[in-house]
Amino acid sequence: MAVLALLTALLPAAAAVRPPKMNYEMVRLPNGLTVVLLEDHSTPIVHAQVWYHVGSKDERSGRTGFAHLFEHLMFKGSKNVQPEEHLAMISGVGGQANAYTTEDVTVFWETVPSQYLPLILWLEADRMASLRIDKATFERERQVVKEERRMRVDNAPYGSLSEVIYGQAFTVHPYQHTTIGSMRDLDAASVEDVRDFYRTYYVPGNATLALVGDIDPKQALALITQYLGAVPPSDRTIPRDIPKEPEQEQERRVSLKENWPLPVVVVAYHVTFDGHPDSYPLHMAAKLLSDGQSSRIYRALVYEKGLALTAFGNGNIVEDPNLFFAVAIVQPGHSPDEVERALVAELDRLRNDPVTDHELQRVKNQFARDYIVGRESNQQKAMQLAHAIVVHKGDVTTADGEFEIFMNTTAADVQRVARTYFTPQNRTVLTVLPGR
Amino acid sequence: MTQRFFRSFIVGFVLATAWPSLVLGQPVKWPSSSPPRPLPAHEARFPPYQVKTLPNGMSVVVVVHTEQPAVSVRLILRAGGAQDPAGKSGLAAMVATLLDQGTATRTAQQVADTIDSAGGRLETGAGRDLSFANVTVMKDSLDLGIGLLADVVRCPAFAQEELDRQRRQVVAALRVSYQDPAYVANVVFDRLVYGLHPYGFPRNGTPESVETLTREDLVQFHRRHYAPNNSILAVVGDLTVDEAMAAVTKAFGDWPRQEIPADPVAELPKPAKRIVVLDKPDAVQTEIRMGQIGIPRKNGDFMAVDLAIKILGGEGANRLHRVLRTERGLTYSASAGFDVLKKSGEFVAQTNTRSDATAEVLGLMMEEFWRLRRDRVNDVELSDAKAYLTGHFPLTIETPDEIATQILDVLFYELPVEELQTFRQRVNAVGVDDVERVAAKYLQPDRLSVVLVGNSATFLGQLKRVGFKSVDVIRLSDLDLTAPDFTRKNLADAAAKTGRRP
Repeated sequence: MAVLALLTALLPAAAAVRPPKMNYEMVRLPNGLTVVLLEDHSTPIVHAQVWYHVGSKDERSGRTGFAHLFEHLMFKGSKNVQPEEHLAMISGVGGQANAYTTEDVTVFWETVPSQYLPLILWLEADRMASLRIDKATFERERQVVKEERRMRVDNAPYGSLSEVIYGQAFTVHPYQHTTIGSMRDLDAASVEDVRDFYRTYYVPGNATLALVGDIDPKQALALITQYLGAVPPSDRTIPRDIPKEPEQEQERRVSLKENWPLPVVVVAYHVTFDGHPDSYPLHMAAKLLSDGQSSRIYRALVYEKGLALTAFGNGNIVEDPNLFFAVAIVQPGHSPDEVERALVAELDRLRNDPVTDHELQRVKNQFARDYIVGRESNQQKAMQLAHAIVVHKGDVTTADGEFEIFMNTTAADVQRVARTYFTPQNRTVLTVLPGR
Repeated sequence: MTQRFFRSFIVGFVLATAWPSLVLGQPVKWPSSSPPRPLPAHEARFPPYQVKTLPNGMSVVVVVHTEQPAVSVRLILRAGGAQDPAGKSGLAAMVATLLDQGTATRTAQQVADTIDSAGGRLETGAGRDLSFANVTVMKDSLDLGIGLLADVVRCPAFAQEELDRQRRQVVAALRVSYQDPAYVANVVFDRLVYGLHPYGFPRNGTPESVETLTREDLVQFHRRHYAPNNSILAVVGDLTVDEAMAAVTKAFGDWPRQEIPADPVAELPKPAKRIVVLDKPDAVQTEIRMGQIGIPRKNGDFMAVDLAIKILGGEGANRLHRVLRTERGLTYSASAGFDVLKKSGEFVAQTNTRSDATAEVLGLMMEEFWRLRRDRVNDVELSDAKAYLTGHFPLTIETPDEIATQILDVLFYELPVEELQTFRQRVNAVGVDDVERVAAKYLQPDRLSVVLVGNSATFLGQLKRVGFKSVDVIRLSDLDLTAPDFTRKNLADAAAKTGRRP
């Protein structure tokens, strides 16, 4: 009994503080637009996010990078808004606006003082209904995106690492290419592509609006109906025939050279999609490996053995099955082989031994923290809600509901998913050495 | 509002004349309309906060914010890289790095386990004028969090083994950074602007300076600068002022006050025209920095200068973005900023462009610096820049950390606290005449510092055309940030012996 009490005293206390639930309202307009509203009067500002369910995995071959290029074009004018005017109007009232594209979605957002709610709804409706692009603007924006690629990918050390990983680990599924796309495909994009992409994907039935902040939900819904509700529905079917990646049957090993300062080792495993029951223990595995200086990969590779300048394991758990990878930049004086063995040893440990109660509780407390500090701003809340709707097939309850799943995950769950996915035949081992 | 939109329409129309627009919308009539009127505005006021001083001289800010059940505690120390002794650049950063790597009573791994197990987060670091340690915990772990913060700040062990470990990490990280064009451009630019003033040296040091740091250096720095009367603490989150003050007093109340050494006086250099090219033959883009020494935060012209630089390249206006990106597609990102420090500040315009467009971009940027000084800014541009700042105010008080940052800023720079409430009035007080006056007073476009990091073979021949006749070209592998000519000493010696420029 005494021993048991002592052990219990050594365990981290279970998270007593719980994230407050979000008191949202969800509506579907007759034209197909999904709307989620959350009232929050703590600051007189409002944040809007429009998610279009289209990303780089929807690009056809020869047009990589197109979803992101198209995102840029959405700032280039519509029937009642001149090129560049969208951003000028937002900044003219002190607001901020931007957009981003991922493998699965394209997201446009604005934050403004709350009295300008009608302005942002009007702007989003205008470009959803009546985008127009002149050829010169299109050509200039193509050059801008090519500069973006140079800056992020081609000119920065390790900038093309994701491209290398995905190019090796996928054979069929469009996750094989990254969102920025290739220079050749960016050059190949045509005005016809722009028209077709817009008419197919930028339609109310493929969009979700999340609106969070200092709003009166009734008034907000009336304004949304007035502006975005007037956008005509589309009768096109949205193609979702994305090729499935066949199961990997044996380990892939690749060694490459890039002009980077220090070698890098990647061990990647194919894993399941966001929302699958296995996805939760996989998220927990990522935290066990890499959240904080007491995490396993940091402690073993960086702290104790000094093998790596930086090292982490993380799951890119998204709409279609993607990858869980462990990455390390090799410290001078050590070999990529040593580092590979150390990374694989940590992933094998998750298969071979159940995690301790102490570590499991630590990870749960870290999840509780992420939930709480990840919902401080309107933008963060809107992102949680829209993500639940778009990626979890309309199930907005997962925005709050996943918290319980994490809290109820057991050591056996983590070991089970590690055994399912972290197998040698499911692995791609990639070594990139400096040099040309 | 209506007037503004009308003006934008004219600009857009002129730009679009050359090509017929392609309407991509659905084949259904979408009506013409104008931007809708705003709703009645809700007033935005800076949220309530308390500032107190402990008997030992520590300033304490408390902001109560109950939306999420978390508390963040941020400690700022008034000493950073600017206090690094000569030859020891990177010392303040190394001290900060080692704070959470073991204390008198906890090993590094015990510190990590304590904070991670509580589901908290602990971060430490150093800037040029300050060092910081922050902890975030759930509200039921306040005592644990603030207690750990006090332990790492007051009693770091600076164990030799931990210093050696972190030194290995920093040196390897610098090796990566020295191949990163954006990093190199920034640190070389600082050296050009500030010369051999402490502000000119890289915060994380150089591979050579980091090798010289000893445990004794760390202990001395900590002893001299880490004191309650040299720090400001902000407690922000879901708790009462009394709870906050009780926890702060328990953790920091018995930290003894001490004498703080005065900073040695160091001369700030005058601006001088100089262009340095770092040659990276495998680069596909050139990273560009252009600017000069500015004014300190406390200068009465701060707001007018800030608006002038925003017109050059900030939100709400941004001439550089328009000229380089919108009109010519030469870059993804172009901006100008006014980085303020305690004793000085710098104006810096930055962008990157494909290698063969380097000289063209350089010429366009130079012209924008000249234009800002030569021509009065027009009312529209100034009112756009002002409208952004005044309208933006409510967006800056959304989260507890954003609120705390503004209060810490005012206390750190020793500005009147009333400034938090009067922000919009101070912005609106700036007129076109003020911008003209400060542009003439502080901008010297004939004495700009310029850094280019890229494949020099593609653009070197064209720099004369845009006004740079004398250019220092340095191979990236020869870069020494502590040398006056940026070149590693042994290479310079070897070159002198063979009579050849390195």
